[in-house]
Amino acid sequence: MSSIPSYATHKPETSCRCSAYLDWLQMLTGACLILFMLMHLLFVGSAIISPSLMNGLSKVFEWTGMAQIGGPVIFFLLLLHFVLAARKIPFASKQQGIMIANARRMHHLDTWLWVIQAVSGMVILVMGSIHLWTVLTNLPITAQKNAMRLQDSRAWIGFYIVFIPMVWLHTGIGFYRIMVKWGIVGIDGRPGLRKKDALIAATAMVIGFMTLWRFVFLSIN
Amino acid sequence: MARMLTFNIFRYNPQDSASFPHMQEFRLEETESMTLFIALNRLREEQDHSLQFDFCCRAAICGACAMVVNGRPGLACHTKTKDFPDKITLMPLPVFKLVGDLSVDTGTWFRGMAKKIESWCHTKKVFDPNAQEERMDNALAERIYELDRCVECGCCVAACGTALMRDDFLGATALNRIARFILDPRDERTEKDYFDIIGTDEGVFGCMGLFGCQDVCPKRLPLQEVLGKLRLKMAFAAANNLLPKFLRREVRL
Repeated sequence: MSSIPSYATHKPETSCRCSAYLDWLQMLTGACLILFMLMHLLFVGSAIISPSLMNGLSKVFEWTGMAQIGGPVIFFLLLLHFVLAARKIPFASKQQGIMIANARRMHHLDTWLWVIQAVSGMVILVMGSIHLWTVLTNLPITAQKNAMRLQDSRAWIGFYIVFIPMVWLHTGIGFYRIMVKWGIVGIDGRPGLRKKDALIAATAMVIGFMTLWRFVFLSIN
Repeated sequence: MARMLTFNIFRYNPQDSASFPHMQEFRLEETESMTLFIALNRLREEQDHSLQFDFCCRAAICGACAMVVNGRPGLACHTKTKDFPDKITLMPLPVFKLVGDLSVDTGTWFRGMAKKIESWCHTKKVFDPNAQEERMDNALAERIYELDRCVECGCCVAACGTALMRDDFLGATALNRIARFILDPRDERTEKDYFDIIGTDEGVFGCMGLFGCQDVCPKRLPLQEVLGKLRLKMAFAAANNLLPKFLRREVRL
């Protein structure tokens, strides 16, 4: 049994539940971030209908303290989720080589989806931190402020052209993996779930780009 | 008109100091209902007697002829050439020790795995040779049998990114075996005993969910579902003592 000590430093006769707790945390932080992203999509997407609607929602978030407290909490969840997921991600180049070689050899969609999720996770860590820092250090959030940032510098437009697909690729694949990995969806349901999930992620991506478009061409005055 | 197939086959004999790993090309005319097992036998008989590969049952029962076919692990006897393009690349299974060419030693790996997870019924009952065998509900026996159909070919291990990266990962076949014992009422191990074996990052929590195991299993074992339910079972086994009563769950396989 794996609990039998095989090293002098091995803790004797105690079974550690930490792997289970960390796996729970990884899944739950991921699920929370998925829920947040969907709500975030509705919030910023409201600017497509009307910038005033978005500003109104923003005022509610300010007034209830959700922006001031919720923002840093989401930042913390993002970092925690990364640390937890990083336990599984190969960082050594030899292991990365093995994973890429396996994906290329197998021609297996789910193996590639895992590679995409790992890569997009790294990108989100950096870009998500920049995005959150920029937004949270300039509260309250308004459609005009967003528009000004994008219209002032084209680099921000390029930033979001990369960031939006990364987020929805990671979110979409993450949701699919949680559902299958945790036994919620069985073998027969997997292809159907993958299709529906891809459709939702693609729709979210389109709404994200429409919002970006709206901000780029929004009259600031 | 029959196709002319081109086989690119990995060649290396670790026993021969003059041998070095390389790919060798063979050409063979396809026949009706040709399997890779038939093709390999013909290549060995007609073109190169030194070609090494394993086979035994020719009916996907023994699991000996597993190899990597155009990138994916599968059984040679179970794989028809008509399902592939003209060019077929054959490699030995990764993870396992190479015997030579396409032949690998899965036996040592599986024996080690069986010892690690104590792959036998643990019981304190003393065996009585005169007593009738205890009866088991037919539906339960069938569920155990479903998981017991594993032929230890090693395809799921060879297709698993985690197993390729980390040699301490138990692999889907071991987790499937544990699930089979959890179902079996003759095994008196407790949930804590099972947790000690698989409730770690080397066990069920190490699975990264690439689902390659499920998609290459030649016996179509429900590995994805088994691993999912095992993860849930072990996760609740660890968390139940922290959860309020209404959230506690005992997950059944």
